[in-house]
Amino acid sequence: MDTLKVRDAKDVEEVVRAAIANEQPLEIIGHGSKRGIGHAMATNAVLDLSALNAVTAYEPNELIVTLQAGAPVADVLSLIDAKNQQFAFEPMNTAPLLGTPALGTIGGMIAAGLAGPRRIRAGGARDHLLGAHAVSGFGDSFKTGGKVVKNVTGYDLCKLLAGSWGTLSVMTEVTLKVMPKPEAERTLLLRGLDDAAANKAMTAALGSPFDVSGAAHLPYQAVRAGTDGLGDLAGQSEALTVLRLEGITASAAHRANSLRELLAPFGAATFIEDAASAALWATIRDVLPFAAGGALGARPVWRIVCPPASGAALGTLLAQETGGDVIYDWGGGLIWAALPPKDDAHAPAVRMRANAVGGHATLIRAAEDVRRNVDVFHPQASGVAALSERVRASFDPKAVLNRGRLSRGAVA
Amino acid sequence: MAIMMPASDQAVLARRAEIVAALRAIVPGEGVIDTPAEMRAYESDGLTAYRQPPMVVVLPETTEQISLILKYCAGQNIKVVPRGSGTSLSGGALPLEDGVLLGLGKFKRIREIDFDNRVVVTEPGVTNLAISQAVAHAGFYYAPDPSSQIACSIGGNVAENSGGVHCLKYGMTTNNVLGCEIVLMSGEILRIGGKGCENAGYDLMGVITGSEGLLGVITEITVRILQKPETARALMVGFAEVEAAGECVARIIGAGIIPGGMEMMDKPAIHAAEAFVHAGYPLDVEALLIIELDGPKIEVDELITRVETIANGCGSTTCQISTSEAERNLFWAGRKAAFPAVGRISPDYLCMDGTIPRGALPKALARIRELGEKYQLGCANVFHAGDGNLHPLILYDANKPGEIERAEAFGADILRACVEFGGVLTGEHGVGIEKRDLMPEMFSEVDLNQQQRLKCAFDSQGLLNPGKVFPTLHRCAELGRMHVHAGKLAFPDLPRF
Repeated sequence: MDTLKVRDAKDVEEVVRAAIANEQPLEIIGHGSKRGIGHAMATNAVLDLSALNAVTAYEPNELIVTLQAGAPVADVLSLIDAKNQQFAFEPMNTAPLLGTPALGTIGGMIAAGLAGPRRIRAGGARDHLLGAHAVSGFGDSFKTGGKVVKNVTGYDLCKLLAGSWGTLSVMTEVTLKVMPKPEAERTLLLRGLDDAAANKAMTAALGSPFDVSGAAHLPYQAVRAGTDGLGDLAGQSEALTVLRLEGITASAAHRANSLRELLAPFGAATFIEDAASAALWATIRDVLPFAAGGALGARPVWRIVCPPASGAALGTLLAQETGGDVIYDWGGGLIWAALPPKDDAHAPAVRMRANAVGGHATLIRAAEDVRRNVDVFHPQASGVAALSERVRASFDPKAVLNRGRLSRGAVA
Repeated sequence: MAIMMPASDQAVLARRAEIVAALRAIVPGEGVIDTPAEMRAYESDGLTAYRQPPMVVVLPETTEQISLILKYCAGQNIKVVPRGSGTSLSGGALPLEDGVLLGLGKFKRIREIDFDNRVVVTEPGVTNLAISQAVAHAGFYYAPDPSSQIACSIGGNVAENSGGVHCLKYGMTTNNVLGCEIVLMSGEILRIGGKGCENAGYDLMGVITGSEGLLGVITEITVRILQKPETARALMVGFAEVEAAGECVARIIGAGIIPGGMEMMDKPAIHAAEAFVHAGYPLDVEALLIIELDGPKIEVDELITRVETIANGCGSTTCQISTSEAERNLFWAGRKAAFPAVGRISPDYLCMDGTIPRGALPKALARIRELGEKYQLGCANVFHAGDGNLHPLILYDANKPGEIERAEAFGADILRACVEFGGVLTGEHGVGIEKRDLMPEMFSEVDLNQQQRLKCAFDSQGLLNPGKVFPTLHRCAELGRMHVHAGKLAFPDLPRF
């Protein structure tokens, strides 16, 4: 194992150029907190960005922050929190789910693009990445986007970089949009709904004018005692359907009341507020009921994205077929599934169900031998797969960046 | 024409009759237009200073026809320019002398309205406004609202990543589109994304959006729809100095308030608009802000008070708050009519579209004033102040020799200043041909080469809408060439583990 700890973009260029010349692929890491996601890479040379960790500029009044890729997420969140700002896409902290140390860099956060519950209202990582400097697989530094929100100058390569798992370019510096934190939050709780009824309740809420910023459903099996952040809510063996309203205090309270009336046919709702509400949504964001240290820690975990109104039917069938547990976020549009251990992690069932509704599934947590048997990332239709490969090659023709991470049997 | 387009392919032009016949075999009836008189309607888009009749116009009705047309053109090395409603302000749909103009006007059916998943699946020729109208009965709307929304097509919106007044709060097209069906230059038909929040794999939808018709021809689009806010109210605030208005914008955002819209007009724009629509704008102010808050009534009322307090603190000289829909619409009437209003006070005008960091607003306006003096031309400024998107309207008379050239040079200097102040060349109108030759002001050759390589992944022959966006065209083979740098570098000074 050869780890090269770079200090600036110039170092990155040199390392990538040498990788090209030596035909030696590189694994790109920040803190390495998400190394367990994806396929094992065909290399033992590591490009480590963790020393490229400066805050280049934070301009709260412009609602932007410019950061080097290796900047620790936790530090950046503290920095912007001090100005009462946040990343509105609620980036997931994968550490509890993967059982890794509580680390992670900004580069990894963007490259993974795992957005939390507010995805339905505020968009994902791709919607908050305004600009980037990166080194392509040609060994050249390039920039894309800018430092302003409204920008249509040239192709929006930021969209491709977000969620590319380090396979297109090595991001060295990014400009991200930050947003003011809401003054108040209220979460409305409905108890005891089955998945189908919960899906209907969430659909009604998201189709209302009340500006719902979180819509999740925890079937009773997932509401386990001892799960962090659930507090008193755990251990009652009752399913929880939760809807979040954020904004200025008077408005959040008003909308919560209006929503309770709208959802009266689904049962009598109760509320939790502010800190308790925030803890609950962090639990959902980080999928703590399936945490590595919890009762289901040994199970493989899938992240399935689908049309929101199809969520319950998909999740219910999958849970029945496999004997697994599921959690719904994004109003049904995101399903987390912890399925009983199996050498293929139930991939055929998961993919068949996802494909049937136009969704897709990623195996976020699984042992390495399972990942050897299964496509971690959703296989795409042949035309789209071929185009994606041409897009990848347009950034990195020799496949020196994270070779093999996204697909099995990639270029050896 | 100051902008050079790619040289016409004489071999293609010589085979025009044969090409027209081949297109007629694909699109029968009146779908192929080849007479000069009938083609005149297509010779320019919203950037009317540039005109060029196409070789032939084809108006297909099905995705299969588009696939066959592109496959035929790819096989025959014929350039293709896609066109929606032709409202582009940057010349994105300017035809080529040796190119087929592919009009999407017949794709005007909404295919599906799915309220449960909060999406509309539509053909690209449907207008922006028609989508909102189709879902209005259930309280929904499509959020991005470019000022041409009555005419512009949703396909064009995706191609340009269109914005609008409300994108400060609700995002641009790219934040509101989930999927599409696209035909590549090879004729291949692909489906990208769908009704879910995210696509699998690379975010191809994200890069197709705003690609200005250079990557593929979109034949179906899935957009997100939202519930209309319960209510909206607006403030109209006047300032004796532009700086104070800029400060007010910064403080509103700094207070954590994201208005539905926040627009600014300078004195010449205020006067032109007031003379045109009589909206009751104050004429003795240097800058006017129109700030709209939307949401539940209780929230809007409270935020109106907060914004009013901030405005007072910034030294506003006038402040009116709408108390009815009629009044709110009147506040907007002048701003929405700003372009035609300026059209009344000047024989011609050029509409620019740069974005700057909000904080740079006063110095950008000062620079525009200086440049106006240098070029001896008037300029009225309207802009989306909330997101720093400037629309300087440069006044000129095309009949006076040399004025158009001076106006264009003035505009180019404004955009250079936007980049200098940390902004970008275009916020929502696109690069097209208008800003094409300014791209090197913002991007290095390496940056632009990476973008063109991406184009090669979609269109390896460079036949789709060439001459737009990129100042210099390179062959894909040349772009893909890898310069192998001296190998076996040792990195003597890099920490190793």
